[in-house]
Amino acid sequence: MNLTEEVGTKARELLENNVVDCVIGYERATDGVSARPLFVYQPEETDKLIFDQTCTHNLAKYLLDRKDKVTGIVVKPCDSRAINLLLSEHQIERDKVFIIGVVCPGIVETGWNKTSEKLQAACELCQQHTPVIYDHLVGEPPISEPAPEAYPDVAGMEAQSAAERRAFWEEQFSRCIRCYACRQVCPGCYCGECFVERLDPLWVGIRIAAGENEMWNTMRAFHLAGRCIGCYQCEQVCPVNIPLSLLNRKLEKETLEAFNFQAGIDAETPAPFSTFEKDEKIGIGE
Amino acid sequence: MAVDFEPRIVGFLCNWCSYAGADMAGTSRITYPPNIRIIRVPCSGRVDPLLIVKSFQLGADGVLVAGCHPGDCHYTEGNYYARRRFALLRPFLDYLGVEKERFGVEWVSASEGKRWSQVVSSFTEEVRKLGPRKSAMPQEAVL
Repeated sequence: MNLTEEVGTKARELLENNVVDCVIGYERATDGVSARPLFVYQPEETDKLIFDQTCTHNLAKYLLDRKDKVTGIVVKPCDSRAINLLLSEHQIERDKVFIIGVVCPGIVETGWNKTSEKLQAACELCQQHTPVIYDHLVGEPPISEPAPEAYPDVAGMEAQSAAERRAFWEEQFSRCIRCYACRQVCPGCYCGECFVERLDPLWVGIRIAAGENEMWNTMRAFHLAGRCIGCYQCEQVCPVNIPLSLLNRKLEKETLEAFNFQAGIDAETPAPFSTFEKDEKIGIGE
Repeated sequence: MAVDFEPRIVGFLCNWCSYAGADMAGTSRITYPPNIRIIRVPCSGRVDPLLIVKSFQLGADGVLVAGCHPGDCHYTEGNYYARRRFALLRPFLDYLGVEKERFGVEWVSASEGKRWSQVVSSFTEEVRKLGPRKSAMPQEAVL
């Protein structure tokens, strides 16, 4: 049985037995090659569900809008970490979600009307092929343990001088049109009022200027420090192709080195900023 | 680098230790460079990373946060949380091209007037050596 059939069968079973009210998965988009999110409420509609290497979206964010109803959701390994993040931050309840985890072959680069064989950059580097949390697993998990995370891209940036990095990021941020798509798509960005929309204090001014763009991009990334689960939807949706994963991954690397913590691996370990050790030496004020 | 460059430094000082320490330096007539503009905050744990990034955005050449020594926080544990936040913020700002030396975090107690003057002096010297924060982009008006 292929992944599409397995996902569809499980979804049908869940809806027929009234285990869930809705299953969130993927369907073929109208261009015929890429995928788009699909909410299935009726067992008959489960035939539309698909799963293949074009299913790029992280659907976990939709759970935030369905807190009261039991929802089935199709997740890849990175998306499953988003569920752990939301559980640990008490945004969703475990018994309100039924997680259909899919063993991920890696997602390919797609666009409207076109698809390719080439894996997305994030998937090239990804070490996690089995979801970290699920109620039902689809696909055969690999036998080998996931390799430790490596950060060749971040190391490349670190090797440059501060002036070079500054020039690089200024150029990148200068293109930002502050559409906030990166925030809208992020499962970790669910604040009722984002700092960027506050008028008093006005952290980010409304003028389109390099300084304001820099402020937004710096703080967006930092608010996800120790929380980014690495689905890189932000980078996917960026209309001006700012390499946001380079920012997120730097913080990921630092969090791993300083606190030996990876976001979303489980829902129990306290987040690094919510706890401390009295005698730790982490390079501040020593 | 201009010879007459005077760095603009923003200081966030905790009310209970470092601000009193700076006061102690004053009442003891200990001098230190006047480049620092001190903002009094209730605790180093109050210093939101937003404040630091905003300071840099508005043209600060350096930002210095000072609080109670670990274990001495007036609110028991505020500085422990602050320490963790800054431990990530510092390398992150460096990654974005704001040199590590421009963002200092120091623990200064209310009795350490002398130490406060040394901390400010050496921090100001470091920032002076780095020079003004240069922008690769056309300079926008600094507020």
